[in-house]
Amino acid sequence: MSVNEKQRNKYVTFKSGNEYFGLKIEYVNEIIVHQEITEIPESDDYIKGLINLRGKIIPVIDVRIRFKQEPIEYTDRTCIIIVNVNDIVVGLIVEKIAEVVEIKEEDILPPPSIVIGGDEKVQNKYVYAIGKVGDSVKLLVDPDRILKDEDITVMEQAIEENTEE
Amino acid sequence: MAEDFSTQGMLEIYLYENGQLLERLQEIVLEYKDEECFDEDSINEIFRAMHTIKGSSGVMMFDEVTRISHKLEDVFYYLRESKPDNVPHMELVEHVLQVVDFITSEMIKIEGGQPADGSAEDYVTALDAFLNKIKNGEGEAKKEIKENVYVEPQQFYIAPMASSSSRFYKIYLTFQKDLPLANVHAYKAVYSLKEIAEDLLHYPEDIISDESAAEEILENGFKILLQAQCTEEDIRGIIQEGYDIQKVDVYECSAKDFQQGFDSVGSEIRIDLDAPIEETSVAGGEMIIMAPATQEVTEKKPIAPGDFVIESKGPGTGKKLAKDKPKKHDKAAFMSVDIRKMDMLMDLIGELVIAESVVLQNPDLQVPGLKLDNFTKAARQMKKISSDLQNTIMSMRMVPLTNTFQKMNRIVFDVSRKLGKDIEFEMIGDQTEVDKNVSEHISDPLMHLVRNSVDHGIEMPDERAAAGKTEKGKITLSAKNESGKIWITVQDNGKGLDRAKILAKARKNELLDPYKLDKEYTDKEVFQLITLPGFSTKEAVTEYSGRGVGMDVVVSNLQAIGGSLEIESVLGQGSQMIMKIPLTLAIIDGIVMKVGKSAFVLETNLVKEFMRAQQDMLVMKPDGQELVMVRGECYPVLRVGEWYQLSDYKLDMEKAMFVLVEIEEQVICLVVDDLVGKQEIVVKPIPDYVKKVKGLSGCTQLGDGSIALILDVGALTK
Repeated sequence: MSVNEKQRNKYVTFKSGNEYFGLKIEYVNEIIVHQEITEIPESDDYIKGLINLRGKIIPVIDVRIRFKQEPIEYTDRTCIIIVNVNDIVVGLIVEKIAEVVEIKEEDILPPPSIVIGGDEKVQNKYVYAIGKVGDSVKLLVDPDRILKDEDITVMEQAIEENTEE
Repeated sequence: MAEDFSTQGMLEIYLYENGQLLERLQEIVLEYKDEECFDEDSINEIFRAMHTIKGSSGVMMFDEVTRISHKLEDVFYYLRESKPDNVPHMELVEHVLQVVDFITSEMIKIEGGQPADGSAEDYVTALDAFLNKIKNGEGEAKKEIKENVYVEPQQFYIAPMASSSSRFYKIYLTFQKDLPLANVHAYKAVYSLKEIAEDLLHYPEDIISDESAAEEILENGFKILLQAQCTEEDIRGIIQEGYDIQKVDVYECSAKDFQQGFDSVGSEIRIDLDAPIEETSVAGGEMIIMAPATQEVTEKKPIAPGDFVIESKGPGTGKKLAKDKPKKHDKAAFMSVDIRKMDMLMDLIGELVIAESVVLQNPDLQVPGLKLDNFTKAARQMKKISSDLQNTIMSMRMVPLTNTFQKMNRIVFDVSRKLGKDIEFEMIGDQTEVDKNVSEHISDPLMHLVRNSVDHGIEMPDERAAAGKTEKGKITLSAKNESGKIWITVQDNGKGLDRAKILAKARKNELLDPYKLDKEYTDKEVFQLITLPGFSTKEAVTEYSGRGVGMDVVVSNLQAIGGSLEIESVLGQGSQMIMKIPLTLAIIDGIVMKVGKSAFVLETNLVKEFMRAQQDMLVMKPDGQELVMVRGECYPVLRVGEWYQLSDYKLDMEKAMFVLVEIEEQVICLVVDDLVGKQEIVVKPIPDYVKKVKGLSGCTQLGDGSIALILDVGALTK
């Protein structure tokens, strides 16, 4: 219980593009430095491939590409946040980890109608709320939505068609 | 009921043991189903199995199971002892199978946490009727079978009612070693002889209150002197070898011998006796022996303790005789292990193998001038151990197909009898071993195939006769190892598949290309049609098959474990279904190849040849398909880099490596950049999150910790 208490309202924040995003800490298994990724052919561009985390093979997603931002080269600062969402373990590649912050419930606001990148609909898919931390704001993302979205159904159909051939 | 006390662990053991026994039972019955009768060993084994089930079910308080197993035990008890020769064997087989089915269904209920509420009433009645039938059929009045019931221990008294027709016997009983309460078992024997006995003596005498008698009996056997009007066979009918009594020896003797007690035993039969004399004398005093008043008995002499011949381990004693009995096979000691633990162990060993190669191929070792003699030695030793470890865990997971095949035997038996067909079933190579996971997955598809063969394949006897075939159909189930896979073949000599019928049906169901003529389809293609969903050429739907679900399920089940189904058939002569299944799903021997920055793995036994190609060996078909000419043969070329749109792969074909791969009689040529090496690959699934990619069956970790993708050539060729 105490662990959950401590974790309540805590968010891991990371930078992607010019914005800072927040991820509820309960989803986060660990954060590792960037490591070699094995490409998987024929998969979506945001799925960068597989990494080997101490013998476990985990798919990784590039958050920048997922957010429809320009992809950038990976550097030493690039990190992979290993998240566990409903028992699916996935790595999220982020430009830079910022910090772990506490955002009180009263500081969390509904998502804005206009956000960065211009394409409001796309952004809104992942951002479910805005958190105020001091003077800055963090866009709170739902990892479940990052992992899957309506694209999947289209993709699955395409794959089924493929296999039926 | 059983829930009243904490029995989960016991229940599991109970279910497991009974499961084993029932399987074995069914195996025996089916093995003998075509014989005239059961032989002695099988009768004994069935008897013992039933006895064990009865006992354990009694403890667990599953009354109906206890009842029915007890009844069947009775039947076999009778068979074993009386050896009647007019037993309707087929009927008996059916009875046993019914009982097995009943108990199995109860076991399933119990396993599922439901009450075992089935009623054994019908079966018990049927068995009773059967037992009476074979008993009365014997003609002569045989004695009722004594049931193995405990009776209240009581001192007994045998009245002298000897007549001139009395005969005298010496009976030696050797009990099973380690039998608990041997004195009670001995008492049981005495008690059951009481009915026919005119006079009876036994040694040790006090078997009721003296506990040391049990040891004495186990050590030296139990001796009975009997006067009765019966034959040796009658005695053997009453006292039988079984789970308790290992050996019964009956010798007829004269009245004089009888009167002299145990001391008159001739040189050929010595009584071994280690008991202290005082004890026997006391014991003897307690027993009331009424002297039989027969005329033949001229001298009467009370039995005195001193008369006993004291000799241990003399020739011809019970002990010795017990040794003469052919030794039973040493049953291997088994232990059931949770499969999840096995899987975990397997995973860990996989990790270990990888970790080992990380150490042994560590770049730190590549420093020139490093002296590594000792390291290499130690490394070699470690490698040996880890590969032994891997082989051992693999072999632990291997199970013979025997059980799966036995189930099929049963299906053939049941279905053919219900359909009125006469079918011989042959099993070849049922000892072939497969991974536990694999064996679990093939049971269902195999069952479908076997049922299909019985139902669709084999004709009715009159049809067969009309077609000039033997009336008895034959189904052969065989398994063999072939090129790294297990081939399981179901072959029948029935009517075979009717090409024209299949095509007509396929046309009707619009499964065919309307512009393609019938004759353009090869036999193989036509036969594959029956594996499509909703396809069945059988007009009538029977209980067993004909609904058109089945073949497609078979195929999808097989595909799920990387297997395939091949169908061969000759109209009028029968058909053959071949399932090709990978031996194991966990570890493969693979070739690691590089394409661009990615590593791929190919199963070693698929690879025919590696080669470099010259430009002039490459041919381009008008449709853009590249071909490579190798020694006059053309093979389609598949550039892995291009196929998967990888970056940085070698475009210059002369520098690339060509890998000829053969799968299902089809050869294709994969083009990769370089070969890295050959190694044992621990197959891991690609995480579910990543959508399935065509041509990739899994992934693995290489020695340096990086990940390689496993190519599924079968999917690539389609």
